[in-house]
Order: sequence, then C-alpha cells, then structure tokens
Amino acid sequence: MHQKIEEVISNIEKVMIGKREVAQLSVIAMLAGGHVLLEDVPGVGKTMMVRALAKSMGLEFKRIQFTPDLLPSDVIGVSIYNPKTLQFEFRPGPILGNIILADEINRTSPKTQSALLESMEEASISIDGQTIQIPKPFFVMATQNPIEYEGTYPLPEAQLDRFMLKIRMGYPTPQEEVEVLRRAENKQPITTLDSVISLDELLELQEEVKAVYVEDSIKAYIVQIARATRKVSEVYLGVSPRASIALMKASQAFAKMNNRDYVIPDDVQYLVPYVFAHRIILRPEARYDGITQEAILNRIINKAIVPIKRYAEK
Amino acid sequence: MKTNNFHYMELALYYIVVFFILQEWLIPILELTKTGHMELILLFIGVCLIISLFNVHFIISWIIKLAYIAWFITDVYEDLSILSTDGLLFLLSEMHYNIVTVFSGRWLEITDPFRTFLFFILIWMLIYLIHYWITIRKTIFYFLVLTIFFIATLDTFTEYDGNYAMIKIVLLGLIMTVFLYVKGLIVQAGITLQWHKYVKLVMPTILIIGLVSILGITLPKSEPIWPDPVPFIKSATGQGDGVEGGNGVSKVGYGTNDSRLGGAFVADDTVVFLAQADSKQYWRVETKDTYTSKGWEQSVTTPTESVYFNLNEDINYSIPTGTDESAKVAHITQINPFDFIMQPYGMKRVELNPDDLENHSEIGLIMNTNTEKIYPYGDNKILKLERYSVVYSKPSLLYSQLQSEPSVPIDPIVFEPYLQLPDTLPDRVVDLANDVVRSAKTPYQKARAIESYFARSGFRYETDDVAIPTAGQDYVDQFLFETKLGYCDNFSTSMVVMLRSVGIPARWVKGFMGGEIVDTSGGLKTYEVTNNNAHSWVEAYIPDVGWVNFEPTIGFSNMRSIEFDIETTNPEDELVLEEEERTVEELEREREQQPTTKENNSNFFVDFIDMINKNHILFVVINLSILVAGILLLISRKKWLPKLYVFMNRNKPMDETNFETMFTKLLKALEFKGFKRKHDQTLQSFAKEVDSVLGTKKMSEITHIYEQFIYGKQQEEIDFNKMKEIWEFLINRRIS
Repeated sequence: MHQKIEEVISNIEKVMIGKREVAQLSVIAMLAGGHVLLEDVPGVGKTMMVRALAKSMGLEFKRIQFTPDLLPSDVIGVSIYNPKTLQFEFRPGPILGNIILADEINRTSPKTQSALLESMEEASISIDGQTIQIPKPFFVMATQNPIEYEGTYPLPEAQLDRFMLKIRMGYPTPQEEVEVLRRAENKQPITTLDSVISLDELLELQEEVKAVYVEDSIKAYIVQIARATRKVSEVYLGVSPRASIALMKASQAFAKMNNRDYVIPDDVQYLVPYVFAHRIILRPEARYDGITQEAILNRIINKAIVPIKRYAEK
Repeated sequence: MKTNNFHYMELALYYIVVFFILQEWLIPILELTKTGHMELILLFIGVCLIISLFNVHFIISWIIKLAYIAWFITDVYEDLSILSTDGLLFLLSEMHYNIVTVFSGRWLEITDPFRTFLFFILIWMLIYLIHYWITIRKTIFYFLVLTIFFIATLDTFTEYDGNYAMIKIVLLGLIMTVFLYVKGLIVQAGITLQWHKYVKLVMPTILIIGLVSILGITLPKSEPIWPDPVPFIKSATGQGDGVEGGNGVSKVGYGTNDSRLGGAFVADDTVVFLAQADSKQYWRVETKDTYTSKGWEQSVTTPTESVYFNLNEDINYSIPTGTDESAKVAHITQINPFDFIMQPYGMKRVELNPDDLENHSEIGLIMNTNTEKIYPYGDNKILKLERYSVVYSKPSLLYSQLQSEPSVPIDPIVFEPYLQLPDTLPDRVVDLANDVVRSAKTPYQKARAIESYFARSGFRYETDDVAIPTAGQDYVDQFLFETKLGYCDNFSTSMVVMLRSVGIPARWVKGFMGGEIVDTSGGLKTYEVTNNNAHSWVEAYIPDVGWVNFEPTIGFSNMRSIEFDIETTNPEDELVLEEEERTVEELEREREQQPTTKENNSNFFVDFIDMINKNHILFVVINLSILVAGILLLISRKKWLPKLYVFMNRNKPMDETNFETMFTKLLKALEFKGFKRKHDQTLQSFAKEVDSVLGTKKMSEITHIYEQFIYGKQQEEIDFNKMKEIWEFLINRRIS
C-alpha cells in the first residue's frame, strides 16, 4: 500500500476502531476529487470519522448541521453592508473550507440541499454575480440518516449522483465496541491526533491519481457494468455516464492506494457497490420484494466478463 | 497492402469454388445440346471471373470479353483468324444479318454464331450476378438453390445424370456458404483477420463437411420413395407414348442402351401391351452379341443387314419353328406403341387386321439380321403398330437331338460374334465355367449345367441392392464372385459369358416375359405385359438343333417344349426348374431397364466415390475410427493438451508479442487441471486460488506481471525468460 496513504489511514484508525474500510474509501474519494455520502443511524461515529480525516491531513474542518430551517446563505455565505466602507462585504459561509461535514443533509429543505450540492459539483460558489473558487482540496462528507426516519427530505436522484461514494458505517463488533468504551473513559483521542500529510503532498497525490493509467479494456469493463444496470428489469433507472466516470476515477485512486499506476479489474469490482448503489433507483415492486441495489450489482458483476486481454482495436 | 492482398486471395478462393459450380451448370447444357468446345467456354468463365476479381475498369473488361467472344465465334465457326479480313467480314455479316433478323421478329432464323454469342452474354450476366451476390450480398444461397433446382430438373426430365453433380454442388455450396458466413462475421465485427486465423476459423467446418460427405457416401441409402417421376407423370396424365423405350428417357422398362448394366431399379407398372395368347410367352425383341465387361452392345464389325418381309409372309430367321399344324395366333394390342414386333418363340408370320391396314398403303417388315429385331414399316418409314397378330408354332425339340454329341464341330468363324469375350474377362470366370460343366458331355448338357448353376449355388434374386461394376471391374465377375445378387441381366449375361467360356456360341436376348392374366373370356387368355415384365435371357446354339432359349434367372422357368423321344437317364435333369415354376408370379417381377448410372465416369470425383464404394467397409471403419479417436482425444485432452502446449512452445521464446497468447494457453491448461476461471473472476483472485491449491506463489507472480502487461501503460522490462520458466512450471505442475 502507498506509504503516505497508509499513514493517513492508520492515523484515522487510532480514533476510529474497526473502521479501516470506511477510512480507506473516504481517502479514495478525497484523492479522486469526489465527495462521500455517509449513510447510517446517529452515533456510529460519522462526525468523528470526518474530523479524524481532517486532522490527519491537517486541513481546515468545517461542519454544517443541516436543519429544516437552514437557508442557502447559511451554507455559502452572505453579503453584508459595511457602514464603514459603504460597501457590501462577503462573509463566507462554511462551505468555503477544505473538509466539510454536512451533517444530516436530508433534514434540510431541498433548496438548501441544492445550494450545497451545486457548490460541490462546481467547486465554486456564485454570489452577487461573483464567482468564488473554493480552495483545494475540497471534500464534502455528507451524512444522512436512512430515509425511513421521520422529518427528512430525501435527496433527489440528480443530487445523489454528485456523491462519488456512498458508505455505510455500520455498528462496531462487540470487541470493537468494548474498545470504543475503553478509549472513551480517557480523554478524547481525537484532540491528540497529528497531521501526517502536508497540503502539498496531498495535492500532489491527487495529481498522481489522475495519472493512473486506465486501459481501454478496463474502461470497456466499467461501461459493460454501467450498461448492465440500465437493463435490469427490477431497476427503474440505471446509472448515468457520470457514474461511470466516478467509478473510473475512484478506481484510479484505489489503484494508487495499492501502489499501482494502472487499474485492474479487481479495483473496479471492489468499488462498484460503493459508486453505483446509491445511483440506482429500484422499481417499487422490487423494493417491496426486499431486493437491494447491492444485490443487483452483485448479480451484474457476476455476469460481467472480466477482460483478460488488451482491448482489441476495432 | 496486406489486407488488400488478402482480399484478393479471399475473392480468388471464392471464385475458384464458383468456377466449379458453374462447370456443373455447363456440363449438362453442353451435353444435352450437344455443344462442343467446353474448355473454351470454361476458359471464358475463368476470364470473366478473373476480370471481376481485379475489378477491371468496365470498358477494358467489355473489350476483353467481346474480343474473346468474337475470337471464339470466328475460330470455331469459320476457322478464321479474328485479325484477318475474312474473319472481320464474317463477324460483320453475321452481325448485320442477325440484327436484321431479330428486329424483324424472325427469331427462329438467327444463326448459330449469334446463338453462341447470346449464350456467352448469358454467362457474362450470370457471372456479374454471382459477383454481386458474393461481394455485396455475401450470400450464395439463391445461386445454390437455383443450381440444385436446375440440376434436379435436368436429372429428372432428361437423360442427363446428375447424381455426382448434385453431390459436388452441395459440397461446394456448403463450403462456399462457410466462406461467406465467416466473411459476414468478419465484416460485422469490423476486423481484419490474418490468414492463419481465417484458416483456423474455416477449417473445422470444411473438415466436418468432408467427413459428413464421406460418411454420407458410405452409409447405405434407401431407394427413392417416389420413383422416377417421368413415367409417373406420364401415366398419371395418360400420355403413355412409349417414346422412352427407344430414346432412353426413362430409366425403367424396355431400353436399347445396355452398355452399362447393373444398379438398382424401381418398379414401373405402366402397361406396355396386351397379348391374347393361349399361354404365357417369352416375347423376344432383339439379341445382342458383344459383351463389353460392363454391358452389351451390338457388334459393329458385322455389317448390318436388313431383310424385308411382307405381312403374312413366312419369316426366316435363326429360331427354329414348329410345324404349321401346331401354329397358334397371338393378338398384340400395344398400349404403349413400340416400333418393333414382339416375337413369340417359333414365330412364323405377322398379320394385320384389315381395318388397320387401310391406314397405310404398303406395310412390310424389316428385320435386322444381326439383332433379329423386326420393325414394321410403311410409307418409307418405321411405323408404330397399335394392333397386330403373330402366328407362331413352337418347335418341339427332340430330346435325342439335344442330348446327342454334335455331328459337326462348331465353326469358329461363323460363330465368332457369339463366342466373343472381352480381353479383360478375369480368368476365374472361365475357370468357374469349366468347373460347372465338368461332368457334362454334350453342349446341351453343358448349357443345362450352367443354366441351373445359379439356383444351386446360393445366388439370390434382388432388384434393390444391385451393384454397378466399378471402373476396373467386370460385370459378370462381380456378380459371380462378389455379390451373387442380381436380376435377369446379371443371370443372363453371366450365363452367356460362361457358355462362351466353354465354347458354346451364345447370345443375349431382350424382350418381355409373361404378364398378368387380366381376361380369360373367349378362347384366349389376355396377358397384360407391363414395364415390369421387361426381361432378358439367353439363347445358345446347340449343334443340329439351332438356337435354343435358356432361362438362368432364378424364379423364372424356361418354356422350351421338349419331346422326350428317348429314355432319359437323368430325369431330374429337366425337372430342376419345374419346381421353381410356381414361384414365377410370386417372386418379384423381372424387369429390364436402363442402369441408373452412366457416363461421366472418367473424372477424379467419380473415381473417388467408386473407390469409396469399393472399399465401403474400410471407409466406414476409417470414419468410425476417426470419430472414436476424436471422442477419445476430446475426453482425454486434460492429459495431453498441456503437454502439447509445452511441446509446441518449448522452443519458442516468450516475448511481448506472444505473452498474451501464452498466458491464455496457461489459463486453458490450468482449466484442464480443474482450475476453471469464471468469466467474472479477476486474474488476481484466480491466481490466488490456483496458488493456494498448487502450493506456490508463481501463479500470482506471473499474473501480476501479466496484469501490468495488459492493463499498464508503459511497458516495463519484463524478464520473459523467468516468465517462461514459471509458465512451464505451472503447466507441468501436478496437483499434489
């Protein structure tokens, strides 16, 4: 595994017990320039995860707690008239940071949600005719409670599409939970966490990820899987080409993490559920039958033909 | 350039196949229209194909083709050079005349050169059409169906025999279909294939076609369920005009061509004539004297003489007749009129009902003295009589005369045609004949011995599964020693040959025999004689007696009337056949017919099929062994294929160009060891699985390099020697 990335992940592991995979996936999304949607019930360590990530990288961490009455300006900022200068001054909102935790994103109104999601996609905000670039790296980790819970505004599909990965935290195992309790007795370990990677190193790593080679046969493999989601009878809406791009980028980051400068089918297979699951909309009948997106994706992967030769020129 | 080149080669291959199919078109056309110069026409087809192969500019192509046609016409019709003034003048005058003729609508008056010209144009158009079918449509189906339909039609309705042509066309057509199908796939996939890959794709199908065809040829085939449709259609539509008897259009019934005997035949109930007679008769039509080892022909050395008789005049010929007192009359009504007279034994006169006589001015009879075939004629042409009567008196052969030693020896010069035997006749036939007659003393006894030989020696009457002698085989030899199955032709021909072998002059007689009684009212019985009653038998010359008829065919009885004027020492001598008489009607009816196969036996294809038929068992065994070997190899491929891979690639160094193929082969070899990579399994996880079972890390190692090789961007230096080592190690590794 890539040394620097390994350092970051083990650093996170110091505070997040048994969540190595989540940490890995979060780093992958970050390196690939994507955003993550963490979906799980409250209290499993979603916030801690993001904080640990921010701290490990020495990045600015901002948190937006989404509530039903939150306004877009609370996210992106607001221009305030300064009587001294007789001018409007822009007071940046919390979105202008490096790592943003958008907590319980599905609790706010769609209007505010879309303000966040648009800035996520563009990596910039527009206010009073002015476009302000959000500094790099820019990484949003949104959490949401499973949509069945009360008082939520489910995210529209178009907006879910903007998250590169959707990760579930899951409950810790009994042993892990005991360990969590043991650590909680003492002072919060998060406060003692040091950063292990500099900003420059991180940006460089992001560039390196972009340079990871994806052979055409791998691209074809990705497309093969993406197209398959559009043909399944239980699926109302399959994944978009944007999803294929996200899968490719995530695979590049995963390859980099494994110290490779080329993507192999294993990378793709591993990431498919995280990249595609939240972008598939099931038909209601399928949902009633208890079929999950993951099950469908599993089926698709089992049918897709892994390329074992170079892409044949046509 | 290479792909372009391949394209030409490919098209050339198609055109070669097309050329052979077109040849099959040409053969029957030329054969039936009696057109010559087949090679030159084939050359024209070849030229046309080459021109369309190279996509020559149409003006040049037109010039070449027209020049060829012009050359052909001047050369063939006038033997002139195209470049000479005469040649050009000839062409111009032909052109002028025919254009005028065509425009004035006198279609029948166009000249042969012009017909030839049109024929060439037709070929030209046909080739253009084929070119279109192949290169644009990429299907040969219509052409193939057309060809098969064409050959089938000709085979059914003309003399042309399309058996081999049909096999050839289906074979070539299937091969062509394979070529074009593969071509279609390649075009569809939008790829170009290299030669060896193309061959790899095509070869298995071609091999299968080959094997299946050989199997098809060797396997026994049942007779057609629907017999030859021509007589069927004719009888169904009531147009039995009997022409087929003379022209050999039909394959059943009475035919004149006996040059190739053998082969199965099918029943034909078409009624030929009705005979009112007091008893069942042999109806003699003609005799033949020259045996060719394949069949019968009339000798050409003897000058053909004709003798004329008037109606009611006594006919003198070689058959002895009885006294006038015992003369009887038989009335013949031809349902299917032939142009010859049916002769009962002992025939004295032919009479005509006065009513029928009125239609013609002078009716006489002509007899060919060699064949003793009698034709009615009138108004200077051969007639077909619908009704006539024959007066006959069967001679009573004196037993004493038959049994006596000949008073004068046989004159070999007089009887030369009847003692003829082909040079190629195997010695064993002569030996057998001598063996059979060993205990007989007189010619008659010898003939009797041979006549009854067949019934005693395990021969069987059979019409379905009757062999045709192959190129080097003798018809009689095949029947006597190999098949022992046959019908009248086999028995009668064999008896004639055996008689001649022991020095008794003999000839082969054709005609009709028996018939079914359909009416017994009045004094005479009415026999209905059908094509099924066509028959052949034997006449042997017994010194002091004359020509005596013999009936060697099993199930038929001869109708010699012998007067036992002396005590016979051996009464069963004449009784042997009596017992069999009862079976005449029960047994399959004897028919005489044209053999089902003829001509065309001089080419390789026919020889090949002959060879297969000859070595039938051998080929079945070979086919079966190939099949069994194939199945065994398929089952045991796990064992030998890895070894073969190693062996084949042992000396081949591994490098960038073949790493992919070698790795694929490794996967295949591992599959035989039980490591089947599922198509959704990544190489890495597969490698881990293999390694854990084999207890190595080498699969992961080579897989890792391979992954880098196929998924990676820049090629790092790969230690191919090491890869080769690992490769061999893995292929040879056994599961412990």
